[in-house]
Amino acid sequence: MSPITLIKCTINGVELEVKQGKTIIEAMSENAQRIAHYCWHPGLSIAGVCRLCMVEIEGNPRVQIACNTVITEGMKINNTSAKVRDAVKWGLDFHLINHPLDCPVCDQAGECGLQDQYMEYGKYDPEMAERKQRKRKVVDLGPTIVLDSERCILCSRCVRFTSEITKTHELGIFSRGDHSEIGTHDGKPLDNKYSLNTVDICPVGALTSKDFRFKQRVWYLKDADTICNGCSTGCNTKVYFNKEGVFRVKPRVNMEVNGHWMCDEGRDTYKFVNKEVRLLKGQKFANGTWQAEMHAGAAVKDAHLALSQASGDSIAVVLTGQHTVEEYEAIVSTFNDKFKTKNVFHWVNNKESFESFDGLLLRGDKNPNTKGLLDVLAKHGISSQWKNLEEGLKSGKITHLVVFGPENLPVFPDLQQNLNIFATAKNLIYFTSAAIPQLKNHASSNQITLIPLKTYVEKDGTFVNFQGKAQSFKRATTIVSEALTGVEAAQLLAGSEIRIKQVTEKQLFTSAHERKDQVQLEHRKKNEFVFNRGRL
Amino acid sequence: MAVVTKNNDNAWYLPGIFTGLVITMKHLLKNLFNKKQMITLNYPEEKHEYSPRFKGNHILTVKKDGAIRCTACMLCATNCPADCIKITASEHPDAQVEKFPIAYEIDMLRCVFCGFCEEACPVDAIRLGPEWQTPGLNGANFIYDINQLAYRPALKGGIQSVLDDQDRHKAGI
Repeated sequence: MSPITLIKCTINGVELEVKQGKTIIEAMSENAQRIAHYCWHPGLSIAGVCRLCMVEIEGNPRVQIACNTVITEGMKINNTSAKVRDAVKWGLDFHLINHPLDCPVCDQAGECGLQDQYMEYGKYDPEMAERKQRKRKVVDLGPTIVLDSERCILCSRCVRFTSEITKTHELGIFSRGDHSEIGTHDGKPLDNKYSLNTVDICPVGALTSKDFRFKQRVWYLKDADTICNGCSTGCNTKVYFNKEGVFRVKPRVNMEVNGHWMCDEGRDTYKFVNKEVRLLKGQKFANGTWQAEMHAGAAVKDAHLALSQASGDSIAVVLTGQHTVEEYEAIVSTFNDKFKTKNVFHWVNNKESFESFDGLLLRGDKNPNTKGLLDVLAKHGISSQWKNLEEGLKSGKITHLVVFGPENLPVFPDLQQNLNIFATAKNLIYFTSAAIPQLKNHASSNQITLIPLKTYVEKDGTFVNFQGKAQSFKRATTIVSEALTGVEAAQLLAGSEIRIKQVTEKQLFTSAHERKDQVQLEHRKKNEFVFNRGRL
Repeated sequence: MAVVTKNNDNAWYLPGIFTGLVITMKHLLKNLFNKKQMITLNYPEEKHEYSPRFKGNHILTVKKDGAIRCTACMLCATNCPADCIKITASEHPDAQVEKFPIAYEIDMLRCVFCGFCEEACPVDAIRLGPEWQTPGLNGANFIYDINQLAYRPALKGGIQSVLDDQDRHKAGI
């Protein structure tokens, strides 16, 4: 392979060295230079239809599109001149000829490409006297997406997505001229596992997600970076939340893991995080009845008392691949060292489809951290078999069973079956973030303690994905403040107090704590934070 | 900032008291012999008439067919400095309307009647009306819902919005 040749060019007066073969827009976006664009997307092919990424190249009398012009040696590029701004202004005005004025009812308002660019380049005084072309509104494209043809600016990003990324070819542009619109063929709805990516890449409000539609205005939502816990791929995601809970999940770019995309299943992972489906309080089942709800901390304290009186062989722990490496480490070492038990079992869900992969992102292993769990178990020299647990419970050898249950219940088809097995233990201590109504119908002389756990958006931690790549993430928000993280639960079970990590003021305000896209004072002065809202 | 100290050691209080009494007596005599110009009213039998542009209780306007004009864009709620507007949006069966509020609540006790909601509204859906006497028995009476905001008896079936989407579409906008 020939070495990568770097060529020199000047963009807006800044001298840059870029790889040969790069287009102007790639070089600009990599070097944090702003350029207006709709149809260009780094993950898709070049279409060159929106005519908005105009640049002036020295020696060339006319403005060119940056997305389809490859940089040559010594090229001098400028996109801030009056000529370019004028071209963009008129391009934008042509986009808006048939665009309806329905920002008040549009879900994209607040993160819309048209709004952003209009603030920057708008004409503010349209000269178009013709009547607007009316098209179809609220078109049902499939199970996940609604189309509004009027709002569409025909950038063809979504069409290219279905033909290049998912290769399902559902979408196309139909009719000609100002009658052209996005659509699907009869009897072939937009129904694939990645369909909601088209909503993300839509620069306007033409494609909206049925799930998120009209739930919240986007300016009420904050976002935070996290890792998807839907499967072992470990896509980098952003969760959008406010004080009422989490409302949607969007992908974040990480070329090593998920590229620009994520699957529709992963976007549902916010649903088991919200309060309605969570276990909010600790509760105990003893003497044949469910007793009054109690504080999670009190429930763990009781569990600690029971466990500390038991012998090591009679204690067993069940872990799923849904927790973080830090939690596994704390839990396994607590039970190993404090309670002297090697009975740590790995609850494997859908064993059959574990290795399956759909070729893009979706993996059969629906746990984000199976690899992390196996690593921790191997480190502590634990190799317990699941059948030992069942035998131990049957023979009465295991009396105290501590289970760290899954967050994402739908991917655990064997939940009911395993709950029945767990409930045969004399003393079942079940840590879970999800409310488990199945256990509530339980009736026996055994004792059950339910203790709320935190979900993945509520704690710091690390997931190890299928490649063995460890990805750390930070807490996004808190939904059930009483719930415990696995680390806290392990500390309380061991009988110690919860240790809060001491952070001094100096550590708090370091550059490591700042987000890359954090809005700084200079951004505010230039009104740039408006420009970058919701950009993918 | 500075501390102001008044040297009142040698002040005479009696002249001040008498000046006050004179003013009181002047008003008493004026009102006794000239009752018509008296400023105070026998509320609630007599009521003061404010200008029709007075910013009092909110009105949600309606369309020609009597349906609510609001599109649930939440700009009023976003703009509200007292955070007293709560809207729940939903999908309308008519694709041309698309979005409408299934719940619209204003907490009148929190409201400061600044009129920002009226200014923010892109479709003339909310106005501040001239009503201002709205007694209630408890706090719950002051949380106005859609029925009260748009169709209360004083509005006589609803105030029509000046901005109509169908007119707008006919004009080609």
